[in-house]
Amino acid sequence: MSFKRPDATFELAGVNAILVRFGNQLNSALPAYLSALRDHLLTRHPSIISQVVPAYTTILVEYDPRQCRMYDLQLLLERELEMVAFENTAQCGKLVELPVVYGGEHGPDLTAVADACGLSEQAVIELHSGQDYQVYAQGFAPGFSYLAELPEQLRLPRLSTPRQKVAAGSVAIAEQQTAVYPYESPGGWHILGYTPITWFDPQASPMTPVEVGDRVRFKAVTVQQLDAWVKEQAR
Amino acid sequence: MSQSATGFQVIRKGFFSLVQDAGRFGYEHLGVTNGGPMDAMAASWANRLLDNSADASLIEVTAGGLELEVRTQTMIAVTGGDLNLTVNGKPQAPWRSFWVSTGDRLRFGTPRLGFRAYLGVQGGFQVPEVLGSMATVKRDKLGGVCGRGEALQDGDFLASGILPEEGIARQIPERFMPDYSGPLTLHIIPGYQQHAFSKSTWQQLMQQPFELDTRSDRMGARLSGSPLQSPTLGMYSEPLSYAAVQVPADGQPIIMLNDRQTLGGYPKLGNILPLDCFALAQRQPGTRIRFAPIGLMTAQQQMRRYLRFFGL
Repeated sequence: MSFKRPDATFELAGVNAILVRFGNQLNSALPAYLSALRDHLLTRHPSIISQVVPAYTTILVEYDPRQCRMYDLQLLLERELEMVAFENTAQCGKLVELPVVYGGEHGPDLTAVADACGLSEQAVIELHSGQDYQVYAQGFAPGFSYLAELPEQLRLPRLSTPRQKVAAGSVAIAEQQTAVYPYESPGGWHILGYTPITWFDPQASPMTPVEVGDRVRFKAVTVQQLDAWVKEQAR
Repeated sequence: MSQSATGFQVIRKGFFSLVQDAGRFGYEHLGVTNGGPMDAMAASWANRLLDNSADASLIEVTAGGLELEVRTQTMIAVTGGDLNLTVNGKPQAPWRSFWVSTGDRLRFGTPRLGFRAYLGVQGGFQVPEVLGSMATVKRDKLGGVCGRGEALQDGDFLASGILPEEGIARQIPERFMPDYSGPLTLHIIPGYQQHAFSKSTWQQLMQQPFELDTRSDRMGARLSGSPLQSPTLGMYSEPLSYAAVQVPADGQPIIMLNDRQTLGGYPKLGNILPLDCFALAQRQPGTRIRFAPIGLMTAQQQMRRYLRFFGL
């Protein structure tokens, strides 16, 4: 696997923003690169660049249209993109282990997922918890982390009819992604289990347990083990 | 709340009233949205009338019904939509500042013209800042009276200062007052996945009328009309800037506003000129909407003039 940075293209995103796109493919080196690029731009150009928001293969740069013209900003960005190293940093972020109770009332779709994938429930659990996932993006809701990539054998389309209500803490999969619902909300992903993590706490430092570029590993536990973990966290 | 506290007592919460300031910025990368006044121009005028800083907090009153009792002596300003405000039963026209004192009753009725009124107070309302802002965002559970993203409730107390000397009440010259009646044209700056949409879809967008849908909220203005052909791109979610125009598979455009989710995966046509979004915030569902193209240079020129005028 080579770690050449995909070519950047630029798109207009309104009166004060520009979207930089790095191809259309998931790339395990991009999250750490975009995270570092965000820090770099905000530190180097605080008077011009006001916000930087990374996602999977894109990064949004908001600027002050009184300080600089869009074309000049694009030239500046083209230079700055080269200043941040693009390398295989997939192993560099921190690794956070999350205990998950799979199946039963906590994972109402485990059986259906096993059937759809032609696997046993145990095999689904082993595949889902048997590897690390990268945090590719955060957004949609505070702290919501998009984790990828799911093993090929577990990739399914979203539910044809989304659920009205998905419980907070639901560990779910869809296509090549997995995630944990931060709040009770409607949702169309397949729910495999439950983990009681708090994704966002404005009083805490840091406010989120993981950042873009970090990794998450799920660990299958029993209900009793989960309760013990929760007690431990509260201390 | 102690007896000596000065401010405003919420008697009736009304339809939907929120503490807002300029918005919450700098945490979008964690998924925290901006919030802030939907009609930022009207909010800026309220603070200007009071010589407040441009980011002082105020109340956004949507569709009326809010009733407050004054427990201080100060200057307030009301701008934006005309929601049939009365003070002690006497009608008050918006777009001006005036003096209130302890015991006065402010009551917003139903909209006469426009949809959102802004109530500013000298020095701003004093509520806790969360992540550097008082802006209420229900979905993020941040900001507002208690800091947890709740709209005003009956019995809430909004602290504010006392103004010992009478200032001079002021009125905004009529030529600056926006006209909230009639249909609205939204100027769009082509951007994002504009090239993925066909030429005929662009023509359709510019030619056909849309209607502002009842499902519109602070996250987004939903339009309804003859469906647009949205390209199938299989996109990864990407950051949504203010006023981005998403077209989901059903072909009905959504303009992403103050409380938008930070990331989204639908194809986008570009962005609306923010000044037009401010005007859109004053339209009621059912209003006829049209699109017209605008170049980036012209759009930026208009925004620079706005920002300079209000010292933003």
